[in-house]
Amino acid sequence: MRLLLVEDEPEIQDFLKQPLANAGYEVDAAKDGRSAIQLASGKKYDVLIVDLGLPDQDGIDLILQLRRSGISSPVLILSARRSVDDRVKGLEQGGDDYLTKPFALAELLARLRNLLRRNLNTSEQATRFRVLDLELDFISRRASRGKEVLNLSPQEFVLLTYLCRHAGRVVTRSMLLSEVWGMRIQPNTNVVDVHIYRLRGKVDTEGREPLIRTLRGIGYVLKDR
Amino acid sequence: MSSKTANPVMHSAAWRISLWATLAFAIGTMLVFAMLHRFVANDIQRRSDAWLTGEVEVLGDVADRTPKDRLYGQVVREVAELASREVPDKLRSNNNENDSVFFIQAGDDGTLKLWVGAGDGLPNLAAIRARKFISDVPCDLNVRGFNHPFRVASVRLDDGSHIYLGLSERDELRVLKNLRFRFFCLWLLIVLFGSAIVFFVTRRMLNHVREITEAASRIGQSDLSSRVPTGKRNDEVGHLALTLNHMLDRIESSMHQLHTITESLAHDLRSPLTAIRGKLEIVLSGDLKVEESEPIVSAIDELDRLTEFLNTSLDVAEAKADALRLSLTEVDLDELIRVMIDLYEPCMSEKGLRMNLRSSGPVTVLADAALLHRVISNLLDNELNHLPASCTVSIKLGASEDAATLIVEDDGPGFASEIGLHMFEQRVKGRDSKGHGLGLAFVKAVVRAHGGSVTASNRPEGGALLSISWPRETGEKIEAPHSLTLVNR
Repeated sequence: MRLLLVEDEPEIQDFLKQPLANAGYEVDAAKDGRSAIQLASGKKYDVLIVDLGLPDQDGIDLILQLRRSGISSPVLILSARRSVDDRVKGLEQGGDDYLTKPFALAELLARLRNLLRRNLNTSEQATRFRVLDLELDFISRRASRGKEVLNLSPQEFVLLTYLCRHAGRVVTRSMLLSEVWGMRIQPNTNVVDVHIYRLRGKVDTEGREPLIRTLRGIGYVLKDR
Repeated sequence: MSSKTANPVMHSAAWRISLWATLAFAIGTMLVFAMLHRFVANDIQRRSDAWLTGEVEVLGDVADRTPKDRLYGQVVREVAELASREVPDKLRSNNNENDSVFFIQAGDDGTLKLWVGAGDGLPNLAAIRARKFISDVPCDLNVRGFNHPFRVASVRLDDGSHIYLGLSERDELRVLKNLRFRFFCLWLLIVLFGSAIVFFVTRRMLNHVREITEAASRIGQSDLSSRVPTGKRNDEVGHLALTLNHMLDRIESSMHQLHTITESLAHDLRSPLTAIRGKLEIVLSGDLKVEESEPIVSAIDELDRLTEFLNTSLDVAEAKADALRLSLTEVDLDELIRVMIDLYEPCMSEKGLRMNLRSSGPVTVLADAALLHRVISNLLDNELNHLPASCTVSIKLGASEDAATLIVEDDGPGFASEIGLHMFEQRVKGRDSKGHGLGLAFVKAVVRAHGGSVTASNRPEGGALLSISWPRETGEKIEAPHSLTLVNR
């Protein structure tokens, strides 16, 4: 997977490169719009990360310019602005995604995966989902571990589905809030933790191998091996 | 409102202006016509008086000189009849009988010596005798049996008898009546025509003002870049439009400046925050012992709180300057609250708190969804952080035609008395509060930016009550004059 990172802050470029490389991306970095266009016209990238505050031009203008020159790879927009302006929303509807600074690495990686999956158009419309001995049935909306059916509320089922879809990878609280509850908020209480705690009480019962793991300060992982 | 907008023309300023202008115009032209009429009437009278005095003198002369023989009566009568044919303003009448002029020679003792005219002349003489005549000034005389007064001039003869010459004012009055009728028609025409012109001119002018008002009301918080139409006029309305546009220029530039400052502040702080957070995360993802990871975890938590604090204070600052940018969408408050309760309920019950919702069904409002989400989560965070166990949080959602009302109340200890009236100010928080004291300031700022209002109080039966009123038609916050309401809708 080739990735073009367009970010003018060397600090952010530096710390992003290594985790992106670890996640399997071949990263090229550009520090302004001009060099980004040069790089993008030379090579084909599977996904782009574009910071909105570039020194020589506006990030959205850069994206539009790239789109006009025939580059259709999905873009993850990084924004230091608090409010998301309407042009970003427009791009989001066009299949791109955005992330406000500061962000969690796990969330950046998850959103990149989402973008690529959307782009590959792989059908995820499976009716069943299986992680180790945990099985989800989307038609009857039932979850079971081994032979035991788990007694989940509809909300817990959605939450578990999301964790399963990202099995083996970190999901952050803000990812859960925006994907499961549809809100980009930062509560200063542990509302999400309690949901996970309750879900874990039902999924990881006594005597079974714990599946849901908390990574303190980062998020949660559903084990897949 | 419906009765007021039933007939927009009757309530428009153009209508009122043209009504008053017409009234003034009508009175003015009426006065002019009255003066003209008076002038004409005087002139006619002067002419008939001149004729009367002239003729009566001639007749007196003739009567004096004619020998008093048998032919005297014959001669004087003929002269008088000749004179009566030269009456001024006389209308051609069908009957030959001359009833517009009479001639009387009356003796010293008041007997009728000679009579020329219609009838036998006795009522005329009686009327004359009832008054006293100064010889050379003609005056009015009402005679029984005639509908119109006569103008009568007299002259005294040497033998002591009097000659009276009377001219009926019938023709004169008819001329004046004719004149009045024409004046009235002309006046009506002028007034109607004038008022129509005034109405259409003022309406055109005020249409321009209305265009400006409409354009100005469209220029909301989110869109400061458009301008009111100026046209090519160089009059007061044109100046109004230009002044409005200059004012908008200044507002836009100061808004822009404020945004630039807050954005660059946010940007300058966020980039290092992102870098720090990322580096901490990389350290954390390595193999660390629990006691090693603990400070890093809490550092990340602190960073997140710092970011949230930065966001919120900049939002509050912008909202206070009326510069908060809103991207409005339709949000169903009922659905949102249900999702929020779903999100918060486990955490609440973990703390021993209960939640309940009373809602009358879907309530759609226009709002910036992200900000509205944060407002609700702020309120619920507040409850979570401040309520002791076994309390109940009640949420009530109601809606009227123009506002949605959200009430969040609890049966806890209520707002601390030291906060008092300052609970919506920044940095104001209770003694035991762990927050940064921005929560309610943020709530108020966002609600006010949407044109709503917030009140907070302690319930008489104990506990805190927070009530938010959210307008349902934020696009029409600007009060439009009644004449415009139809157009705007």
